[in-house]
Amino acid sequence: MATRFILTPQAAEFPATNFPQLNKVNTRPVLGFDAATSETCYWTVIVPQGWTGTVAAVISYMMASAVSGGVAFDVAIEAVTTGDALDLDNTSSFDTVNGGNDSAVPGTAGYMEQLSITLSNLDSAAAADYLRISLARDVADGNDTATGDCYVLEVEIRDGA
Amino acid sequence: MAVLSESDRVSVWAEDMRDISNIREVCAINKIDLRAAVNATDDWVDANQAAFNAALPLAARNGLTTSQKARLLTYVVAKRFLMGV
Repeated sequence: MATRFILTPQAAEFPATNFPQLNKVNTRPVLGFDAATSETCYWTVIVPQGWTGTVAAVISYMMASAVSGGVAFDVAIEAVTTGDALDLDNTSSFDTVNGGNDSAVPGTAGYMEQLSITLSNLDSAAAADYLRISLARDVADGNDTATGDCYVLEVEIRDGA
Repeated sequence: MAVLSESDRVSVWAEDMRDISNIREVCAINKIDLRAAVNATDDWVDANQAAFNAALPLAARNGLTTSQKARLLTYVVAKRFLMGV
């Protein structure tokens, strides 16, 4: 297993509406995902050579205030290969979302926990592809029961190399 | 006066969670239970608004607007509970 990307809060890209707030907690940058409104952000990368095997997103998070309940996230992938008939000006082409949840957030707000989501729907991403990774808190998921913001600290993308 | 609409209750719920997050205050219940508390609070206010109005001295009862009475209630409740009086 190899670490392929470390997605930081500062490197995130935001849509025009419903995006997580870029904030700082004890000088640590975080993305604050709301508990009532589904918010989304993106990262853009190039798939490295040697990319292989099962891919997973490992989300490092802490809760702002919740000490019970769970959180759920959706990760989606858009892979664009050179010459693809996809007009980047006005089109997105994300594969089906990959959902995952942590049914029990840490019992102390501020404690860090990691949630791993296997990216089965990878949009056939291959080495050298132009890749966008979307992250959204799935507030409508039955497992997303924790109150308040979920602060995402980092997202690690691993493959099977 | 009726209870808040569903969307207004959702708005209150969301705003409360944002406030709790912003001040980093521990919240021991989950968001389903918090939503139920919003509904219960709104139901209670709806059921007791006439009693609140009747409890006001006559001058205030007749002289304050509905908004002014609502603000008064908000300030007193905030002072009593948020300030720990």
